[in-house]
Amino acid sequence: MNEHLTESDISAWVMGDRSNTHVTECAECRIEVAAMEAALLEFRASAHELAAGQTPVVRVAEPRPWWPQLALAAAAVALLLAIPAWQRAERERVAKQEAADTALLRQVDAEVSRAVPGPMEPLVSLVSWDGSNTQ
Amino acid sequence: MEMTLEAEQARTATDFESVVREHWPRVFRFILVSLRDRNDAESLTQDCFLKAYQAWGRFRGEASVSTWLMRIAVNQLRDHARNRRLQFWKRTRTNSDQFNDFHDIPAGVSPEASPEKRAAAKQQVRAVWKAAASLPEQQRTVFLLRFVEDLDLLEIAAVTGLKEGTVKAHLFRALQAVRARMSEAYE
Repeated sequence: MNEHLTESDISAWVMGDRSNTHVTECAECRIEVAAMEAALLEFRASAHELAAGQTPVVRVAEPRPWWPQLALAAAAVALLLAIPAWQRAERERVAKQEAADTALLRQVDAEVSRAVPGPMEPLVSLVSWDGSNTQ
Repeated sequence: MEMTLEAEQARTATDFESVVREHWPRVFRFILVSLRDRNDAESLTQDCFLKAYQAWGRFRGEASVSTWLMRIAVNQLRDHARNRRLQFWKRTRTNSDQFNDFHDIPAGVSPEASPEKRAAAKQQVRAVWKAAASLPEQQRTVFLLRFVEDLDLLEIAAVTGLKEGTVKAHLFRALQAVRARMSEAYE
């Protein structure tokens, strides 16, 4: 009888190398090999049991319609173009308002700087404040 | 008759849904066993099928759909491991879905077996899980593809992009490590 199988011989046998005939002659080595093969089969069964019942959670997405994205892009472009126009109109509105305010202030200044009320202005030219009649 | 673009897209989506239904369990199982984290496994499986869907139109059938999907899964796992190495703080998080203690691992034996046999089998299975978890990445991938997914060496080579001889060497070393761990469990 040959020598008993080494660890390497057992691994080779489990991998499918059946060239070593000692296994057929030696009950002890046969038990050793069978135990290793059984452990690997049980490991396989254990792994299958662990992963069993898992159902796919991936759904293949339907292709999305293209038009909402196009509409969104068009809206963004329109917004970008509208901003400078709005800024220009706003500047013009502010300039007009400032001109109107300036005109009003001038008018108020003119009113305030009068010595007598408007209806009495013709009399002012008739009266000399130092007592002499100008006419 | 020419197919409209919408009809072609709908046909592609329908074809792919059947691919998802057929292959999801295997891809999820392989990723779950590799990561031992249910949340991460679900998320990574989704990413895997999303990538596959994006590339579905270019899939020409040089490999089987299964091999192609498993190759994507292996690449996803590699990227995931790389990201986790970079984001080292993630390792410190508490995650109840991660089963690193291996106490809740199913024994993988018939319920009719005697309590002693079930206990011994559970101990063995736990030792294999622990050994697989501690293997280097490539060895673990090869080991799981062989002993969980039942792929032969050539199929593993196609999935991983490794040469057949390299696959054999990884598998041999992985088995040695698993045997060593099983011996420790009995001491």
